Amino acid sequence: MSRRRQLAALVRKDLRLELRTRETIVAMVLFAIVMMAILQFGFGTRDDDLTRFVGGLMWVTLAFTAVLGVGRSYVAEREQRVLDGLLVSPVPRVVMLGAKAIAIFLYMTAVEVIVIPLVGVFFVQGPYWDAIGWIAIAALLANACIALSGTLFSGLALFTRARDLILPVLFLPALVPVVIAAAGATHAVAGGPHDMSEWRGYCLFLLAYAILFSLVSVATYDAVFDD
Amino acid sequence: MPGERAALIWGVVATILVVVSTIGVFLVAPEDADQGVIQRIFYFHVAIAIASLVAFAVSCVAGILYLRTRSARWDDVGEASIRIGLLFSVLVVITGSIWAKASWGTWWVWTDPRLVTYLIVVLIYAAYFVLRSSAEDDRRMRYSAIYAIAGFASVPLSFYSVRVAESFVHPVVFTGSGANMPGSMLIWFVVSQAAMIALFIALLEVDLVGRRSERALRRLALRLENA
Repeated sequence: MSRRRQLAALVRKDLRLELRTRETIVAMVLFAIVMMAILQFGFGTRDDDLTRFVGGLMWVTLAFTAVLGVGRSYVAEREQRVLDGLLVSPVPRVVMLGAKAIAIFLYMTAVEVIVIPLVGVFFVQGPYWDAIGWIAIAALLANACIALSGTLFSGLALFTRARDLILPVLFLPALVPVVIAAAGATHAVAGGPHDMSEWRGYCLFLLAYAILFSLVSVATYDAVFDD
Repeated sequence: MPGERAALIWGVVATILVVVSTIGVFLVAPEDADQGVIQRIFYFHVAIAIASLVAFAVSCVAGILYLRTRSARWDDVGEASIRIGLLFSVLVVITGSIWAKASWGTWWVWTDPRLVTYLIVVLIYAAYFVLRSSAEDDRRMRYSAIYAIAGFASVPLSFYSVRVAESFVHPVVFTGSGANMPGSMLIWFVVSQAAMIALFIALLEVDLVGRRSERALRRLALRLENA
């Protein structure tokens, strides 16, 4: 079986599990909406214009949602012993990494398909779809960063003691630059006139982050499951 | 013992350089026309920052070497480097905060990406010890090595992020076209830098000698128990 078919089969496995149980994405979407409502009430009074906080509101929410999603992503592997089967099968570790990263990327994208337009309705000033389009591009880049670093860190946390606690401790500090850049890119286009040079700068940062973490993940993922 | 001799030599070198640089910075180097005496913190702040990055680079290289050789020696070097690097990083944040108070009138500036990303680097490396304490034996060394490599990937991101946002207040002394300071200041910066690097190597050697002695003692205790 070629690597491409192995990758497609593993991604299909994750997506099929999710479609059957609908556990992760539904919980992530609900969590994101609840979190945004809480943050909204946490900021100032009702007559304040929160447009200048929109990037922060959205990306803090999505960062915590990502922790939730990434934490759930290895549940089947761990609890139903899927990992044992995968590790003895002739699937290269890098293919496992790629498949898990694609699954997390798709989970995050599914959440953002609902969250970003919703945020836009409440906070975006100026042409709606124009701003949503630019935010969506930055979000796709941020998803790549989240998926690559999340796959590596959730693999590390998988067999540790108190893994549910370890994952956020490892993953959230690594996510802070992504939150800074994604929130900056969102802010650059959400408040009326677009600052495209700032948006481009933040997107380039996200691209650099994704490239760097893809190199690190590919180089080290073999050792994560080297038992 | 070659390790002990190296620790002694580096200890002496570091002591001499720290004393010389302290005298030079406070008594010989010219005072900055704009900032006055507080600018002298720059010689330590930047030198410690660079030394901490060197420590993290050493831990990354030790991580790579551990994954290649599986020798516990490289795990020792990696852990000791991160311990010292983290200590230096906390000092960078403290000295930076003191400088910020004197120059900008506030202890912390959240809009300055370099200060903020340096704090993130501290958080990333603090998480290293949480990960280490939650895994055992070979897994602990393997995960630590992987995390040291992934953690070091965040260091260039902290440098990149400072140039992404256009509105930052952090002084950038070293640019692509050289150092923005006169030779009479640069020389004392170089001495300070050498002192901090020597201090890092001395602390590393002392730490490694301590670990070797501890292992030797444990072996001896085991032999005595068996005898």
